[in-house]
Order: sequence, then C-alpha cells, then structure tokens
Amino acid sequence: MSSYEAALDLLRRLDPTKVEQNLNQLIKLDPDLAEDLLASVDTPLKVKKDPSASQKEFLCCDYNRDIDSHRSPWSNKYVPALSAEDLEESPFPSDAIRTMEVLANDSFDIYRDLYYEGGVSSVYLWDLSDGTSADEAPNDFAGVVLLKKGENSRSSWDAIHVFEVLQEGGTQGQVSYRITTTIILHLNSEKKMTLAGNLTRQTERSFVPPGHPSLEQAGIWHVSNLGSVIEEVESQMRNQLEVVYFEKTKDIYRELRDSSQETTTQNRSAHEEVVKGLQGM
Amino acid sequence: MPSNFETIIESIISDAPSGEIQDVVKDLKTIAGNQAEEAITEAVVHYNIKNLIPIEVNRELVIISEYNKKGSKFFDPVRSIAFSVDHLNRTGMDVESYDQEYTAQQKSLYEDLERYASKNFTGDVAYAVYPRDEPDDVVIFISSTRYSPGNFWNGHWRSSYTYNLKSQILKGTIDIDVHYFEDGNVNFKFSKDVEDNAASSAVVSIKTLENEVEAEMSNSFSNLNEKEFKLLRRRLPVTRSKINWGKGIGTYRLGKDSAETQLN
Repeated sequence: MSSYEAALDLLRRLDPTKVEQNLNQLIKLDPDLAEDLLASVDTPLKVKKDPSASQKEFLCCDYNRDIDSHRSPWSNKYVPALSAEDLEESPFPSDAIRTMEVLANDSFDIYRDLYYEGGVSSVYLWDLSDGTSADEAPNDFAGVVLLKKGENSRSSWDAIHVFEVLQEGGTQGQVSYRITTTIILHLNSEKKMTLAGNLTRQTERSFVPPGHPSLEQAGIWHVSNLGSVIEEVESQMRNQLEVVYFEKTKDIYRELRDSSQETTTQNRSAHEEVVKGLQGM
Repeated sequence: MPSNFETIIESIISDAPSGEIQDVVKDLKTIAGNQAEEAITEAVVHYNIKNLIPIEVNRELVIISEYNKKGSKFFDPVRSIAFSVDHLNRTGMDVESYDQEYTAQQKSLYEDLERYASKNFTGDVAYAVYPRDEPDDVVIFISSTRYSPGNFWNGHWRSSYTYNLKSQILKGTIDIDVHYFEDGNVNFKFSKDVEDNAASSAVVSIKTLENEVEAEMSNSFSNLNEKEFKLLRRRLPVTRSKINWGKGIGTYRLGKDSAETQLN
C-alpha cells in the first residue's frame, strides 16, 4: 500500500468532522502527500464574496483555485485579485466553455433556489480537448457543480459533483457523462449529539446528441443533461443519507444496548410461569 | 523529525474508532515509517487506558483503566489476577495471582452490575468495579462493543461512574460511538454527563440514567431528521415536480419574481 492509499484509508476511518485538521496533520507527517490529498479529499466548501458581482457569494474548491485566490463564476475574476504577472499563468475556460459555464451557473442557481431555498451554488467548467475554437461546440470537457446549505449553522450540507463529458465515438456519436458525487452532511443537536460524515457514489449516463446543433443549442443540451442527472443523483443520495444516518445508525446502536431485551425476557418468564400455572391446574 | 511528531501521532490515534485501531496503526506506519513505531505504541497504550478498552485475559474480558493499573501491570479484583497487556492485540499476558479482594459492599455492587449489564447490553459486554484510593470511593465501568468491519460498521458504548458508598453520590459519563464506512465515512457520537445525588443502589440508578439517555437519544434522532435534515434540502422542489431543464428554466425565476411582485 502506498502512503497516499494509506492516507485515504485513514481519512475514511477518522472523525469526519475533523477532516481538515487530520488532512493537515498527515501532510505534516509526509509533505509529499500534499498535492494528491488536497486534490482528492473532499472538505466542506468555503464561501467567498465576489466584489465585481455585488458581493454575490460563490463556492471555493481546488478546481477554481489559483495560488490563494478563487475564480468567481459570476464575474470570471479571481478573488482576491491576482497580480497581472500571476494572472498570465492563471487558468480560465475557453470562450465557448465560459459561455456554457454562465448558462450552467444560471440554471443551477434556479435549481438551488427550488430545492434548497437558500444556500450557495457554483459551477466551474474546463476544457479537456485542445484547439476548440470559439464558434465551435466543445467536444470533451469537465467540471464541478457545487451546492452548499447551512454555512455558520448547526447543520450543513455540501454537495460536490465532479464530472467529465466525453464523446464516445461510434456511429451514434453518443456523449457520456461520468459523475462522482460526494455529499458531506453534518447534523448536530443542541444536546451533545453529532451525526456527521459523507457518502460518495459514481454515476454514468449516455445521451445521443441532436444533429448539428448550434453552439447555443449544444450548450443548452449539455446543461439540461447535467441538470437532470444531478437532480436525480441528489434525490437518490438524499434518500440514501436518510437511511444510513438514521436507520442504519439506530440498528447498530441496538447491537450495543437494548433495554427492551430485559423486558422481553421478564415477560417471557412471566408468561412461562402463567403457562406452568395453567398446566398445573 | 519535527518536534510535534509525537503530538500528531497521539492526536490521530486518539481519533480512531475503537474497532479500527489496527487499521489506523497500519496506515500510520505506512505514512510515517518505522521511526514512528515507538510513538504509535505509546499512543495505543494511552488510547486503551483512556477508552476503557476490554482486554481478553484467559478468554474473559477485563476493562483496563488508570484505576486498576499497578506499575506496568493491570489487576482484576474479581478473578484475583494481575497481567501485562499486548495493547495492539488487546490480549493479556504473564498472568499471575493478585491478592486484592473486594470488600463485602464492593462485591455486592459488582454482582448487581453483572445482573444489569448481562441483561441490557447486546454487544460484547464487559464491566468492572475498581476501588479508588479513598476507601469509600469506587469506579464503575460498562463497555459494550460490536465490531463488524466486513459490513463496514463498528459500534462502542462506554459508561463510567464514580460512586461514593457513604454519600451515595453517583456521577458519570455515557459515550456512544457508531462508525459506518461503506462508500463513505459516517460517524455518530453521543456524549452525556449524568448524575444522581441520592443513589441508594448505584446500579438501580445507573439503569434509570442509561434508560433515560437512550430515550433522549431516540428523541434527538427524530428531531435531527424532522428538523435539521429537512431544512437542508427538500425532497421535491416547492413546485412539487421535477425541474424542466433547458432553455425555459428561466421561467421559474420569472414566475417567482412575478409572484413576489404581486405580493408586494
């Protein structure tokens, strides 16, 4: 087992509410782990405000980070601003991808409002194939859809959907969407009780594109596909989280202590006494 | 090595679920290398004592704690033995006889505890009454564990009390940990301090307190599900049907805006 695999195994076992602290400690033990771990371990999302978009909130992750700044999906600018020199090296999506990113952010903002009634959402896209010109629909691209509810409150939900959209080739020219979803759900009661952690699942769906769409149509098509798949995945995972957090945990607790057992035993022996008494009559 | 090396090892080990200590140790050795061995071993000793881990001695479970530690060994007043511990494997070694016996009061307390613990706990249960330096003071421990790593879960109940036989004051803490880690990492923690200032029978009071905690926990579960969880994400949108994605998605916003305008 490599050091990286061992670190991932450890983080799956240690207290999920301390994932950031544990991540930092592991990096101190082996600094070579830093890059891989920071890119692959999901932590609760940070919120920043975009000064170029009326202080509208956006979400930060490793995918929109450069140095210590994060690119806002609203203005396409890094916050805090980077120096002109640094900015030359900073990643930005191509024009075609950016157009789709704007549409995706607008659509998921509506999705967020309808399902979360609050919270923050952000979508970041990036090119996977080189040489896509601005007036041509992008072939392969990747991205992340982020949703967060409950910042600064007792309980919180962070949904992180990382995906790749790839042309499968073949006669039908199918397009496949491969999505890895992690939901971090922390629930706290005012009493000393915490139910916290994360679940991850992978989803793959293929769609047959309509013939010769315009750039605008292609963008709408991709965002609709992503939207409906992510809506379905989140609904399924919400059910799964409910089962694991509430039913599964209670079932495991019953494997530790069950005071009804004593009552059952007492009832049974009382019942046996009655039966014995009846038989003796 | 950085000066806080031991602190990091100690902190990571102390965070481990009790059923997964061997996995955590193995991972840590892979990451920190052989130089960490001594710090890890020491951290596991601290872990076992602090978390009242039951040790298998002659096929029976004996809880270890700072109250039954003598030098490098631990003693068990019920079986009149002392033993060393293989802390990683949680087994006893070098078992020898030990001549500290219970007083009549301590013995009767232990028998009450035995009856209660064997009937109310479904896991691998261990319990103990250990004397303290003050002759009227004792500690009472209950540990119930169920480890099912093949099904990706482990659970641990731990309650610990101090009881004064004269004043009949009982004070304690109940800790419950459940870890579920299939396709993720979900952790349930519950901790509560409890107290009974007129515990004429310590074990009757313990039973009442622990049943109360169980009921309280059950209420908290319902509360978290009905209130906290439901407020985070709805099962269906306000419109009660799935979203119509695509070019027309903006109409949801228009609809909402016009509804708000009409209200204003």
